[in-house]
Amino acid sequence: MSEESRNPVYVERMSVLFRMQHMLLIISLLVLAVTGFALMYHENRLAQALISLEGGVLYRGIIHRVAAVFLMAQLVYHAFYMLFSREGKRELNEVWLSRRDFDDFLQAMRYNLRMGNEYPRFGKYGYKEKFQYWGATTGVFLISVTGVILWAETFSMRFLPKFVLDLTLIIHGYQGLLIFVVLLFWHLYIVHLHPSVFPMNMAWLTGKVDAEWLREEHPLEYEKLKGEGIL
Amino acid sequence: MNPLRSFLFTVLLAAAGAGLAATADAGPTVTDCLDCHGDATIEKSFPDGKTLSLFVDEKEFRQSVHGKGTCMSCHPDAKAPHGKLGAVTCGKCHPDAEKSYSQSTHGLVHAKGVQDVPGCDDCHGRHDIRKAQDPKGRTFRLNVVEACLTCHEDKVIEERYGLPDQKVMAAYRESVHGRAQKKSGLLGAAVCPDCHGNHMILPGDQPRSATHRQNIPTLCGKCHSGILEEYERSVHGKGMRAGIAESPVCTDCHGEHSITKITDPESKVYVKNIPRTCTACHGNEAIATRYALPKKRFSTYMDSFHGVALEYGMTTVANCASCHGFHGILPSSDPASSVSKANLPKTCGKCHPNAGANFAKGYVHVEVTPQKAMGVFVVRVFYTIFIGTLVILFVLHIGMDLLGRRRRGEPKTGGTKE
Repeated sequence: MSEESRNPVYVERMSVLFRMQHMLLIISLLVLAVTGFALMYHENRLAQALISLEGGVLYRGIIHRVAAVFLMAQLVYHAFYMLFSREGKRELNEVWLSRRDFDDFLQAMRYNLRMGNEYPRFGKYGYKEKFQYWGATTGVFLISVTGVILWAETFSMRFLPKFVLDLTLIIHGYQGLLIFVVLLFWHLYIVHLHPSVFPMNMAWLTGKVDAEWLREEHPLEYEKLKGEGIL
Repeated sequence: MNPLRSFLFTVLLAAAGAGLAATADAGPTVTDCLDCHGDATIEKSFPDGKTLSLFVDEKEFRQSVHGKGTCMSCHPDAKAPHGKLGAVTCGKCHPDAEKSYSQSTHGLVHAKGVQDVPGCDDCHGRHDIRKAQDPKGRTFRLNVVEACLTCHEDKVIEERYGLPDQKVMAAYRESVHGRAQKKSGLLGAAVCPDCHGNHMILPGDQPRSATHRQNIPTLCGKCHSGILEEYERSVHGKGMRAGIAESPVCTDCHGEHSITKITDPESKVYVKNIPRTCTACHGNEAIATRYALPKKRFSTYMDSFHGVALEYGMTTVANCASCHGFHGILPSSDPASSVSKANLPKTCGKCHPNAGANFAKGYVHVEVTPQKAMGVFVVRVFYTIFIGTLVILFVLHIGMDLLGRRRRGEPKTGGTKE
């Protein structure tokens, strides 16, 4: 973006409620990752230091489960909000996966490799954002289910054989790693390191983005807002 | 000896000799001998300036086990006046003891002419010998340890003969046996001769020794007979009786001189130390291979919730012994084993009341291999490949996306700025 004199116009991209959910998600996921990986890699020196810092295995577990309750409560709240609120329904509609996202992805790849001439035009959420959203949501769902089974171990033991619990544990751990990797590589890239937003897309704090950025990265959304007279 | 005393000594001897002659051939009585030897100052001096007390405490002698005998019983050549007497031979009356002693490590060294090895008198005393049952006796249960430690805590002797060092001896004092003996005065507490024998002491590496590996269970079983019975039925006990040298005996898990209560954090069988104690053999590749034992016992346990919790000090979690038992350990293939398929629900149920028959399906703490833990193995491989591939794709995508952005920046369609 050149430094020409123009008055940047900002439009809302994340409402207050979503920013709050996002903030809670950051905190709970970080706590869960720190306490969870400390246990998963307990033979590692750093992990051992973390467990000690967390007050031993007993308190590590308690902290982990408290954070898990926050995360799961959020998941449930989010599901209801997306399904039944006016804003949620609109957002769900925007983020819903369609055949078009796959086509967009292929088109983007072709363009990047100079095999096509048009870069896809994205709506409010392009395939990158949708991949992030659905990946994290299914991940959190899976890790919640396995987590609850492990938490309610006394109850689970009545119905589930030991090897199923072993499986649950290993899925829980690797699922955590998967979510972590997706967040680290994907999220870091699309909202921090991507040249259009570097060092950071401020929307998670201010809720707003530059209309110019929207026009470049999400032209369909830009046009839609123009059409609605918001811009 | 000053001249005056020397003179008196001679006079007294002469007087005693005269007295003896008067009482015919019976030889000198104890009283006769004590005429001289009852003098607390009587001593013999050597050219090098050293002196040897020749005093005999009458009271001690009269109370000793030999107190009713005469001096001549042990000193047949003690006829006044006399010079240096011949060596006392206890074996004349105690042939069994002498025979055992002569075969012991003490006796064998003694026979070679080594002087600072204990003979009879070093442990039993001389004129004050009392029965082992007599609380004042040197070899009484509560006193005998000190008798042994006279030499075995002597650094010079330890070094000269390559004996176990002071740490071993000090460990006994702090052990459950040592404390029971010393602090509580318990007559049942094991003292040195209970394990090592008395006259017939041999080093533990000799098959005839009471403390040789193969004799250990029987030895400990002298007092701990209920546990011996349990041990004999266990896989370790049977292995040991079958002559398998690696099969653990009591001392392998409990230690020897240093045996402490299982509640002592220093004990090898303290809850937190049990996994490492078992691992000494079960983590040994050679032993595990030779006897076809399941491998990776330690790491698979330490990776479990139980292992991690134990590592961080939660002593209520299951350790090896909680499930496998201890003295009566049986292989899981034995129906009587606490970890046999049929008994697992009961064993797990000790802590997890809800763990039913269903729970016991599958294996517990096994290596993650397709044979033993197919599910976990597949999930692990899947996630490793999946996450690995994902990372590679992410990086590729980021690279391509950056290429695309440069292209979008090129002035071509005029749709973008710059």
